[in-house]
Amino acid sequence: MPKLIIDNREIEVPEGTKVIKAAEKLGIYIPRFCFHHALGAVGACRVCAVKFQEGPVDGVQMSCMIDAQDGMKVSTADPEAADFRRSVIEWLMLNHPHDCPVCDEGGHCLLQDLTVAGGHGIRRSKGRKRTYTDQYLGPLVYHEMNRCIQCYRCVRFYREYSGYSDLGVTGIAGRVYFGRLREGILESPFAGNLIDICPTGVYTDRPSRYTGRRWDFERTPGVCIHCSLGCRTTVSARYRQVVRVEGRFSQQVNRDFICDRGRYGFYYADRPGRPRNGRINGQTVSAQQAVEEARDRLQRITQEHGPEAVGIIGSARSSLQTLSALVHLCHTTGWQGPVFRNTWIAGAAADAAVRALSPENAFSMREIETADAILAVGADPVNEAPMLALAMRQAQRTGAEIIAIDPRPLDWPFDFAHLACRAEEMEETLASAAERLSASRRPVVICGTEITDDGIVMQAADLVAGLRGSDKRAGLFCTMPQANSFGAALLDESNACAADLADRIETGQIRALAVFESDLWHVFPDRSRLSTALEKLDLLVSVDFLDTPLFENADIGIPSLTVFEAGGIYVNQEGRAQQVRPAHTGGLPIAAAGLGDHPPRSFSPDVPGRDMPAAWAAAFSLSGQAPPETDAQMTAWMRDNFAVLADLAHMEADGVRLFAGRKVSIPDEAQIPEKKPDQFLELLPAPTIFGGEPMSGHSQCLRELAGLPAVWMARADADRLGIADDDRVSLGFENIEVTLNVRISDPMAQGVLVVYRHPDIDWQPAPDGKRIFISEDQIRRIEKA
Amino acid sequence: MLAEQIRAELEKQIAAADHPQELAVDVMLAFQEAAGYLSDTALEAAAAMLKMHPVEIEEIATFYTFIYREPVGQNVIHICDSVICWLDGSESLMDYICRKLGIAPGQTTPDGGFTLLPACCLGYCDRSPAMMINRKVYGHLSRERIDDILARFEHEEPA
Repeated sequence: MPKLIIDNREIEVPEGTKVIKAAEKLGIYIPRFCFHHALGAVGACRVCAVKFQEGPVDGVQMSCMIDAQDGMKVSTADPEAADFRRSVIEWLMLNHPHDCPVCDEGGHCLLQDLTVAGGHGIRRSKGRKRTYTDQYLGPLVYHEMNRCIQCYRCVRFYREYSGYSDLGVTGIAGRVYFGRLREGILESPFAGNLIDICPTGVYTDRPSRYTGRRWDFERTPGVCIHCSLGCRTTVSARYRQVVRVEGRFSQQVNRDFICDRGRYGFYYADRPGRPRNGRINGQTVSAQQAVEEARDRLQRITQEHGPEAVGIIGSARSSLQTLSALVHLCHTTGWQGPVFRNTWIAGAAADAAVRALSPENAFSMREIETADAILAVGADPVNEAPMLALAMRQAQRTGAEIIAIDPRPLDWPFDFAHLACRAEEMEETLASAAERLSASRRPVVICGTEITDDGIVMQAADLVAGLRGSDKRAGLFCTMPQANSFGAALLDESNACAADLADRIETGQIRALAVFESDLWHVFPDRSRLSTALEKLDLLVSVDFLDTPLFENADIGIPSLTVFEAGGIYVNQEGRAQQVRPAHTGGLPIAAAGLGDHPPRSFSPDVPGRDMPAAWAAAFSLSGQAPPETDAQMTAWMRDNFAVLADLAHMEADGVRLFAGRKVSIPDEAQIPEKKPDQFLELLPAPTIFGGEPMSGHSQCLRELAGLPAVWMARADADRLGIADDDRVSLGFENIEVTLNVRISDPMAQGVLVVYRHPDIDWQPAPDGKRIFISEDQIRRIEKA
Repeated sequence: MLAEQIRAELEKQIAAADHPQELAVDVMLAFQEAAGYLSDTALEAAAAMLKMHPVEIEEIATFYTFIYREPVGQNVIHICDSVICWLDGSESLMDYICRKLGIAPGQTTPDGGFTLLPACCLGYCDRSPAMMINRKVYGHLSRERIDDILARFEHEEPA
């Protein structure tokens, strides 16, 4: 390992370390624009110049381009190097506008910082500045090319790191231009990272432009809850509302970046329709009154009909606090539940994943980046867990072979072999594809839990166990439906699903239902059954921060706090429990309190709209118990009351891994999914990155990206049915008739119709163990008008 | 846009190449040969042939001096403005041609006869200063020699 001296201090670094990185290890920050640790070095900006005073390299050189070597003596403060850097900055500033006060990057701009730090203060050039025409790049990223200093970070991230190609760099010399061929929405679902990565204000956050300077914001470390990965974020809040979310570095989870769903999914938290008051039979009351009324009425029903007459439903978008409070609620009252599974099958697959993952075999995203072979089965990372796609791409860039077994059309930003097959063929395909991992040394099996069943998950776990048995560093990585699916599976004792409670409502056994932060309305397989069952209830209580149809129709509605106000612990799909701190104090945003005008001028000591409870506190109150007073006391209470959560005491910066501690159960007899009948097509509802997830579905800027609802089919099926790309078809099944545009894809599994969840499709069937088959004659092509 | 025979030949070469991108310049030049410049539609067609994103073609087209993204005159004059020619007075020669033709660099004469463009090196440093008209390079330029050369083109009948 080479030893070198930087600014009179010695350091030993691994072979191949660049001098700029070696200096970082000593805490010496060498200026840089183009160098980024995730993207590597290109030597484009020339601002990291240092003086090599002794050793194999001589003179002023770029510290990002030179490997640390034995005997080097480097000075960052040498006058020649400092002067060089000052000149580079002066030259970069030749064309950069002198308008920091009106630039949204001002205050967190690397160019601004280094211009000041480099000592360039007075403009000597009398020349005119080069100017460009900006482009419209979609609802997320705002483009101002005049600010560009040609560091190439954007194109390197967009193309090399994330694998999309519609952003490029055109022109030559003084006309170099970073943008698209024509104006239009950036195709990459990771485009928001351009904002974080640009060292100046060429790309800024469009929805939050001019909402404040960085120093105006309350900035809090957060964790994204818009999929199961749990990426780290930095949440910026101002005037009691979240205004911006950025990526935050995590060694094990997302590293530097986040996806656009995670970046822009937060708008549900402060939208005007969000429940902020309690409601009793349609009358607006305070949250506290609603809680008390619900408590009293639930008590009356319990006294009259016994504790079995009350059912509790929760969901995996709630914090671990809420989930454990619900388990405790049912323990102490004898109420039925809590039910966390929307459908039996989805819960079974996630439960199998939680059982199968152990400290030995559970890989993090960081470990996926270093895999040399990846087999993904029933997982579509771009749509289910977007940042996983970037981790897979990094593996592929270093030579990993990637194989996908999935019925859906897969649009991934890297090369892969797609073995398209239907659910009933998955087991066999997985068994035969497993051989292709035999030459690898660090293989990873990625398994989805949204369109697969528990049999496939266990088969994937067995495969990993087999690979580990033959001395490979093999790992298992499961994606899950929601942010806290792992946590819900850890705490779920009943394994019951919502349909079980529906049965008991229909028989009159359950007369009251309290539903906590649940999207049952959208995911319950049979909506007409659900709505009849709910009407039969004596009492429906809904606790939520979203105005779901359930909340709207509840007898008693209790508003709850969002993750930004209550914080919480979320357990990601690899069992990593991560703590989220509240991002602001909560209460009605000042923009709303002042009705969009100046903040109100009447003063009072309390914050308006702050009397809402966290869902977990409401859960305690419903049984008449006082909730723990502080977050710390709540966490301690969780550790003391739940053995699986005891390890929360060891929470560190990278979270703490929780595992079920149960042995992998090999299924006695793998259940082979029923075979698709001839003359029928399977209708497969599938998750999608924008618009399909309940919280981020409220973000207007993301809805623009959702495209039109469509049904995807294989070319062979379309040809047989006489359907062409872009045709409109009507699909009929079980009294429902929907009309959708057709997209033809090749490859995708034959005999399958894929419908991605979409905000405009109110009809969102989720198969409850059963697969949905549509007869070919129920697929009708509609003549265009 | 492309003659069938030329297209077939290019497609054969693309199929034989390790990386289709290798042939990007050849494909663009073929389209330019056919229409005089690389139009937006030609750019899209070239991208489709090479299985590249159109912006990737645009990157090369706007970087490479000899691809014209706008219509040009019948004859295109490239004056070398690289170091050696510049030392040998290319600036004043550029200025001379500008005044002679009544256009600025990047412009085309009103009759469509000449387009004047700079080139960053023609590889004629040993015979500097140099210029290229259409595909032919002329070295050891002087004002008189430029008059001579341009006169030959001026007397040509428009094609």
